[in-house]
Amino acid sequence: MREYLIKRLIVSIFIIWVIASLNFVIFQIVSPIKPEYTLLDPNFTPAVRRALAELYGLNEPLHIRYILYLRNMFTWKFGRSFETMRPVAEEMAWRLPNTVMLLGSALICTILVGIPLGILAASRRGTKIDVATIGAGLFTWGVPTFFIQLLFLLFFAYYVTQFLGFTLLPSRGIYSIPPPTEPLALIADIIWHLTLPLITLVVASFGSWALYTRNIMLDAITQDYITTARAKGLSERTVLYRHAFRSILPPIATMIAMAVPGIVTGAMITEYLFTLPGIGQWYLTALMQSNYPVVQAVLFMYAVLMIIGNLIADLAYGVLDPRIRVGQRR
Amino acid sequence: MECWTHVYGWDKEGRRLEGMSFLLTREGRIIWTRRIKGFWEEFRRKKIGLAGLFIVLVFVFMAIFAPWLTPYDPLASERVADGFAVPQWMMIFPQYADLATTRATSIYWEVEEGSKFIKEWGQNILVNFEAETTDTVTAAFTFEYAYSQKVPPDAFYCEFEWKGEEVENSRYLLKLYIVNPVGNSTLLWILPGSWRDTNGGEAVHVDSTNWELLKRLGLQLGVDNLGREVFAVGEGNYNFILEILFKPQAIGAKCEIHFKDTTFVTLGHVHGILGCDNAGADIWAQLVYGARVSLMIGIMAAAIATFLGITVGITSGFLGGVVDETLMRIVDILLCLPLLPLLLALVALFGKSVFYIVLFVAIFGWQGLSRVIRSSVLSLRESTFIECAKAAGASRFYIMVKHLLPNVLPIAFASLVLSVPAAILFEATLSFLGFGDPRSPTWGKMLHHAFGFGGFSHLAWWWILPPGFAITFLCIAFVFMGSAVDEVVNPRLRRRR
Repeated sequence: MREYLIKRLIVSIFIIWVIASLNFVIFQIVSPIKPEYTLLDPNFTPAVRRALAELYGLNEPLHIRYILYLRNMFTWKFGRSFETMRPVAEEMAWRLPNTVMLLGSALICTILVGIPLGILAASRRGTKIDVATIGAGLFTWGVPTFFIQLLFLLFFAYYVTQFLGFTLLPSRGIYSIPPPTEPLALIADIIWHLTLPLITLVVASFGSWALYTRNIMLDAITQDYITTARAKGLSERTVLYRHAFRSILPPIATMIAMAVPGIVTGAMITEYLFTLPGIGQWYLTALMQSNYPVVQAVLFMYAVLMIIGNLIADLAYGVLDPRIRVGQRR
Repeated sequence: MECWTHVYGWDKEGRRLEGMSFLLTREGRIIWTRRIKGFWEEFRRKKIGLAGLFIVLVFVFMAIFAPWLTPYDPLASERVADGFAVPQWMMIFPQYADLATTRATSIYWEVEEGSKFIKEWGQNILVNFEAETTDTVTAAFTFEYAYSQKVPPDAFYCEFEWKGEEVENSRYLLKLYIVNPVGNSTLLWILPGSWRDTNGGEAVHVDSTNWELLKRLGLQLGVDNLGREVFAVGEGNYNFILEILFKPQAIGAKCEIHFKDTTFVTLGHVHGILGCDNAGADIWAQLVYGARVSLMIGIMAAAIATFLGITVGITSGFLGGVVDETLMRIVDILLCLPLLPLLLALVALFGKSVFYIVLFVAIFGWQGLSRVIRSSVLSLRESTFIECAKAAGASRFYIMVKHLLPNVLPIAFASLVLSVPAAILFEATLSFLGFGDPRSPTWGKMLHHAFGFGGFSHLAWWWILPPGFAITFLCIAFVFMGSAVDEVVNPRLRRRR
């Protein structure tokens, strides 16, 4: 087990290094748009241009820049933003909570809706609930998330507001302007602003969770030991939750571990649509302004999170399912 | 249908032929035709697949016959009606029944005064002034315009072309008025810079929303509406008056004025099948042409990705060893990349064009397929016919292309159909976030514009719903078709009953 863990860690760090290097190659070597064009405005005086070039290390040779870049990435500092001239890490620090708050609660809600629904559908196979669950799963497969969000935005923010004459659910921002001063009122205000994005995220993704749970649960409850448990006279509830559900825990834990990086990466469209000041919106703006330190930092962070998620998913599987002891010879 | 996984047959002399070489014989073609027929027989029993195929065909029809389905060019964004005009068929509902429609009128001028100099009138005016005294002479024309709609239009425009030639020792001036039934006259256009003494001419577009025009009339942009001011009375006879003034400097001064092809258009609040966007461009045209781009990007990206997946899968599975290890590690790394952010970054860096979007979507879309094909090749590699081919001295390339490729084609085909919607969705998402090709009309771009230019605050559902549903239907249709194809060609994966 330990041997496997170390091997996986080394491979993960290697992949992180490859991705960091790719990040460097794409933005500093292959890219047709050089920072010299975007950052160093020709209208600046030579002294300012020199100072800027020095601040961003543009005068250094390529290999020094690469080493500086790697140091920046692995120490989680990320350099300075072209746009605001402030450290990227600092800018990321106040945006990250917004994103995590929205998508973390969305993930929790999705799991809380999706998994029980999947179990219910599997236990009532062939009924309307089952058909509806399959339908919801296929629906989320084919319908683009942003379109679901656009629909909700159109109907719940704009049509309802026009119909009622006052704002039921706000369509943009994370708090009212100006924000309320009392802490409780502020929290309520933020919850009010996050309701609509949260609902849209849950609606857009609970179907696939439910469908996945249903499928593995169906596999589990058609096994012989479930029949045995039923034959023993256990209640259906006990059979479902104590026996069948326990056996599907490993794949579900895997799925959750794989979804956790999405807490940070999955927000781009939602934040764009609802004008929330989070990582995704910051990334889009940075792309449009050719603000590469920010773009590199966000991409790197996304990749690292995904790799860690994969690693945890693999390990969780081994821990939760004693049948699979990774690294041990059978 | 199991025969799909083993492609072989016999030629006339009874020799056994395998793989693609078998296709080259007549018998081979017959058997392949039979197989395709067999595939179709089985496919058409799947209702869901047929439904998908039908929807896809509808979109293909839209894409091919786009120029016949709409007269407008989606990229020119011609102003065909007022901004946010509602679809025409909405007029069956009472609250929309009274809305104005777009009306275009060609103006045929009639002579009012100064007839001595007027050589031509009607659609094209020609006035030939020749001074006998130094008095100012006016040639005036009128046109009676019957406005037959109850509501005033929010906007109108007037187009014409004027030309002043052979100007000698004289100055001229052109003025265009509109007089409403009550008698209020509005000076729509006056020759820029007032009196002129040189030759000149241009095509003029007088727009009621033009701020210079509004300023000259003492109106404020965004507050006053010229269309409503002029047509406040509604139904009735309006008069257009064109005055051509001639001021000779000496006796014998000359001047020739042309005034051509005057059209007057009032922009309505209803238009066409799907109304208009914020700039008054036809939405149906954008939707129809959008099908072209979506289908093309989806199918091309999926085809390239499938090709890459097949190549990598077969190479990696058949050659094994270092090649396999390297390729699979590359697949691992690619699977770790955050796809959407990376695509956005690459498109933003290398250029927002259809070519790059197809390329990048394809480059990041083959990993899953290559793994599946690799595992299938791993088992095929051990089978007898490959052993035989090896023993007969076939080269590795020959085996890969002639023996392995035909056997993995069914899997690849199912994957091809299933990866089209993913490519379409990626393109739509990129366009929606503003990273689409600005020179091609796409559904994602329509949504991007609807979101950015007030489609939501105007509750313009006809601008938001059609592209969204088009993307949705096309993707779901491909998913349906793909799962049906998958069930037919991979019988092992058939769902348990």
